[in-house]
Amino acid sequence: MSIRHVIALVLLVAGTAVLLVSACALLVLPHPYARLHALAPATSLGAPLIALALAVDTGPGRAAVKLLAIGALLALSGPITTMAIGRVTFATDPGHPEEADT
Amino acid sequence: MNAWLVTALVLMPCALGPCVWVACRGPAAQRLAGANLATVLTTVLFLLLAQGFGRTSYVDLALVLAVLAPAGTLVFTRLLAADPGEARTAPQADGERS
Repeated sequence: MSIRHVIALVLLVAGTAVLLVSACALLVLPHPYARLHALAPATSLGAPLIALALAVDTGPGRAAVKLLAIGALLALSGPITTMAIGRVTFATDPGHPEEADT
Repeated sequence: MNAWLVTALVLMPCALGPCVWVACRGPAAQRLAGANLATVLTTVLFLLLAQGFGRTSYVDLALVLAVLAPAGTLVFTRLLAADPGEARTAPQADGERS
């Protein structure tokens, strides 16, 4: 087992843990706006970590660059879609937060 | 059976399951959060399965999904946000209440 494989496994376990935590957070968090926070770690930390693990395991070359590009694409699109979902949640919310009593 | 396939096997029920559960309950805007996380997880699963089976050409599937999934989510947000906007502006345009 080479050092590169060990690094890839560590990155893989870290990324998987982040994805599992964000999936559990999506299930557990009660408020719709709080639930949006569950999307952030998965897209900006979990998916890029797993893409990095795959790239480290693949080794230098075009395949690794493609994997890193997919990870960067996921990290870039995550905040955009989260903001769009937040806007829709606000627009379709019958009682807006500033009007509704907590 | 290597580490990539084991990870995919863990992620499929333990992470994709809650996303599908959230995407099946509640109002449409909150389902969209579950669907969005499910697309990210599906992209990661495609990457892991491609590496696990040793077929590097399957990575293209994940690349296409990483490009198309945010576009699909944005289309959903446009369609969902259209409803209350019309409901607010329609009575003013007609001058009568429905």
